[in-house]
Amino acid sequence: MTTQITSARPAAGPRKGARRRPPASNATKVGRPSFAWALPAAVFFALFAIAPLVMVAVLSFMTWDGISSPEFVGMDNWSRLVDDPVMLDSIWLTLLLTVLGVVIQTPLSVVLGVWAAGNQRNRAVLSVIYFIPLLLSATAVSVLWRALLDPNFGIPAEATWLFGDGNLFGEQATAIGVLAFVATWQFTPFHTLIYQGAARAVPEVLYQAAEIDGAGRYRQFFHITLPQLRNSMITSMILMIVGGLTTFETVLILTQGGPGTDTTISAYYMYDKAFKSFDFGTGSAIALALVVAATIISLIVVRVSGYDKMRSTMEGVS
Amino acid sequence: MRRRPNYLAGAGSLVWLFVVGLPLYVMLAATLRTRQDYAENGPVSIPDSFTLDNYAGAFDSGFGQYFLNTLVVTGCVIGIVLLLVPPLAYAIVRSRGRTTSAIFRLFLLGLAIPAQAVIVPMFYLISEAGLYDNLLGVILPTAAFCLPMSALILSGAMRDISPELYEAMAMDGASPLRMFFQLVLPLSRGGLSTIVVFSALQAWNGFLFPLVLTQSDSTKVVTLGLYNFQTEHGIDIPGLLGAVVLSMVPILLVYLFARRALVRGLMGVGGK
Amino acid sequence: MKTRARLPRLVACGATLTLALTLSACGDGDGGSGSDGKIHVLVYGDATNKVEKQLVEKFNKTSDVKVVLDTIPGADYQKKLQTIINTPQAPDVFFNWGGGSIKPFVKAGLLMPLDDFIEKNPDLENKFLPSVFNNAVVDGKPYGVPMRGTQPVLLFHNKKVLDEAGVKPPKTWDELLDAVTELKAKGVTPIALGGGDVWPTQMWFQYLYDRVAGPELFAKAIGGDKSAWESPDSKKALNMIRELVDAGAFGKNYDSVKYTNAGSVQLVASGKAGFELMGSWYYSQQLTDHPDFAEKSLGYTAFPTISGGKGDPKNVAGNTNNYYSVMKKTKHPEAVAEFLKLMYSDDFVKAQLDIGNLPTTTNTKDFLDKAADPKYSRFQYDLVADAPSFQLSWDQAYPQKASSDMHKAIQQFFNGQLDTDGFIKAMQALPTD
Repeated sequence: MTTQITSARPAAGPRKGARRRPPASNATKVGRPSFAWALPAAVFFALFAIAPLVMVAVLSFMTWDGISSPEFVGMDNWSRLVDDPVMLDSIWLTLLLTVLGVVIQTPLSVVLGVWAAGNQRNRAVLSVIYFIPLLLSATAVSVLWRALLDPNFGIPAEATWLFGDGNLFGEQATAIGVLAFVATWQFTPFHTLIYQGAARAVPEVLYQAAEIDGAGRYRQFFHITLPQLRNSMITSMILMIVGGLTTFETVLILTQGGPGTDTTISAYYMYDKAFKSFDFGTGSAIALALVVAATIISLIVVRVSGYDKMRSTMEGVS
Repeated sequence: MRRRPNYLAGAGSLVWLFVVGLPLYVMLAATLRTRQDYAENGPVSIPDSFTLDNYAGAFDSGFGQYFLNTLVVTGCVIGIVLLLVPPLAYAIVRSRGRTTSAIFRLFLLGLAIPAQAVIVPMFYLISEAGLYDNLLGVILPTAAFCLPMSALILSGAMRDISPELYEAMAMDGASPLRMFFQLVLPLSRGGLSTIVVFSALQAWNGFLFPLVLTQSDSTKVVTLGLYNFQTEHGIDIPGLLGAVVLSMVPILLVYLFARRALVRGLMGVGGK
Repeated sequence: MKTRARLPRLVACGATLTLALTLSACGDGDGGSGSDGKIHVLVYGDATNKVEKQLVEKFNKTSDVKVVLDTIPGADYQKKLQTIINTPQAPDVFFNWGGGSIKPFVKAGLLMPLDDFIEKNPDLENKFLPSVFNNAVVDGKPYGVPMRGTQPVLLFHNKKVLDEAGVKPPKTWDELLDAVTELKAKGVTPIALGGGDVWPTQMWFQYLYDRVAGPELFAKAIGGDKSAWESPDSKKALNMIRELVDAGAFGKNYDSVKYTNAGSVQLVASGKAGFELMGSWYYSQQLTDHPDFAEKSLGYTAFPTISGGKGDPKNVAGNTNNYYSVMKKTKHPEAVAEFLKLMYSDDFVKAQLDIGNLPTTTNTKDFLDKAADPKYSRFQYDLVADAPSFQLSWDQAYPQKASSDMHKAIQQFFNGQLDTDGFIKAMQALPTD
């Protein structure tokens, strides 16, 4: 996170490698806040996010078009979804796009973030420009890229050697490619910010020591910077995964799930069912399934990466 | 930095500048040319006209009021986030209770809730509360959906505060409250400015909640106003992009301001 | 340590500010209709709002019950409407497309049949062209009053491109096929198509079905008799579409082209394409974006005739008009009836013509000379007035909930992902009420 910049950690040793002291004195309860500190936020959040989610769960067992009154139909919505080929395809598409997002954006934003962490003036100026895509609303991104990728008057027309007849939105493979690319364009700045902050927090002494040992720039990058970015990488990846599973705006604005249903990812399918077909029951079922899936996956990532244990490791260090 | 310049990275950064910059250039260029020029020559051409009409048009279509509304929403969302998240993150990082870790899990789950999934119940909740077509009805859910990410970011920042500092204060018999104000808040300024930028962005670009939860001109926000340039059968691209550029200015200022706060924070640490 | 003291104060300031702003924000906002002595009128937000605002101001000058005009921007109108229609936030009067866009609301008993209004004031029906008025009749009862302009779909062309290829504007389907061959030989995309939006693609289906099978086939299908889609006429229409696509009439990348970002408009204006099938709003779109071209080289004709077809060649398809429908729960029906009267007033008709809309009232023809482009307006008006049948756009004739699946099927048939049988099955699966 960018936030690590301000961390008051004295330029001491690295997190890892330092000998761990047993967490004796700091395990005490003295001076620790009680859960009451977390309560206001929790209540607020429960009211405006969890309560609607519970209502969504209930709706997933009902049939409702928004006009007449809802009726319970048991598992109907769910059993129909299980047999729905579009739904099944949408799951694969969602996973594919999520994986593409992580695989493309992570190396890119690590490199950019580390580069932008340097103190040179040109880097500061460029980072401001890099940041701008993040400011654009979905409408703007859609209009811009649909115009830029217009097969007759946009970039494809200027580079036919690369794009052929420019039918980027007419075929599944290229449409997915465009989605992955635009998502990268829009969200890499955010992850770059995370890595930039983390990279700046890497203690300078480590590099000085490495330099004395005669390690080159790339060795330093792989042996000092990267390991130090581990926690940020986990955070960033969780965000990418959850984001990949739940965002639908890129699809909504660029392809509307088309051609046909070729780019209909699960989150978009939910939207399509709920707000285009006004089948709020089925839409809710998909929504709930998505939330459950995203939660399970992020919990697994948190567990595997030891992110939830970070607190204790942090306190063990220094 | 004392090292020799890194040419490879420099070249790479220029490539990325092109990827990011081309659409941005096209956007800016489009807002400064006439609609006809844009339509005749296409997006990637060199403009051969100059006009500020696209910006004037944005204001003519009521953007002043929309800006004000958006500003109110953004200000309130930032306020709520700043009130709720620091204590929450503090508890997540420092409290040892099971309740707190349950709450933390709740927020992790919250990360996975897409806003569009809950929009229908949200409409009923808000209209039952009598907040339909009221900016407060937009503010509350928008703020709620900023909480999980803000909590994650800020608790990440607070984790980096050295435990020794807490111990030192505990030795002095400091209460959690005093530690919060004298240690935690000052040392997580960077994290605070990140969550300010984050929630400001969410509020400023928020579309779904205002769309469903408001309807009058007096409660319209900028993102909905952008739709004035889009009709069922067509779109005024230069006009729309003009409004987009205008709508970006305030948030860019927030970012620049927060950026300076970040850098100052860094300097402060270095100077110690 | 100065900074440490500053932060709590900052937070306190923030809190105060929040509270102040929140309280002030609570003050405004009065959406929805209540017993506040007002009529809430909900319309689609776009340039026509100008006329609607004038109208409301005029009405409010003389009426005790005031009209409040609410707008919902662009593409999300229908979604929003469906969310609020059965809640206290619902308006009294709302904009719609007639046909399937109000059918579910009628079925749910939310709308007021307008026969009472019409009995008291027959002009509410008589002053409108019947083919247009009838599109808001559901189960034999009228539910809407036309309130904007009609938008028939026409075949537009670039005169210069056609001249250069030695092609005349086609009157028949065979002439169109010949024109496609000639234009292709010249290296021009014969027909521009914004396939990315899908509804422009749908226009080809609407006309082909109407010309080949007559409006009865579609009426049968939407009436619930799904066998209509399997009929030989249906298959014939589909084969003709297939033939046209396979002949390369639309080029190869039509699915990446959009009308809504002016991509297909530019194709025709720049001479890279010969034809485009589009609603009558196309003319003003070209006039705004490409004034030079629109004045010199933009031509338009009715859709070609198809020999052996069962449909009357004078039939048109497109958006018949938009309508105001009235909610049953409105507390001020008399005031609403007064407001609806304005929809055929001379001032209203003139104001609509001024901004390029073509109202469908019987007095419209008296003012056609004052229209922005009299020749074009007259052409359209005559076309609509003479048409035995005006086929409402398919996605509006069907209930709104069917439109997404319908668009998918249309796009997939066009690009070859679905064959004839697949398309027929997909259309049969659509809900009709």
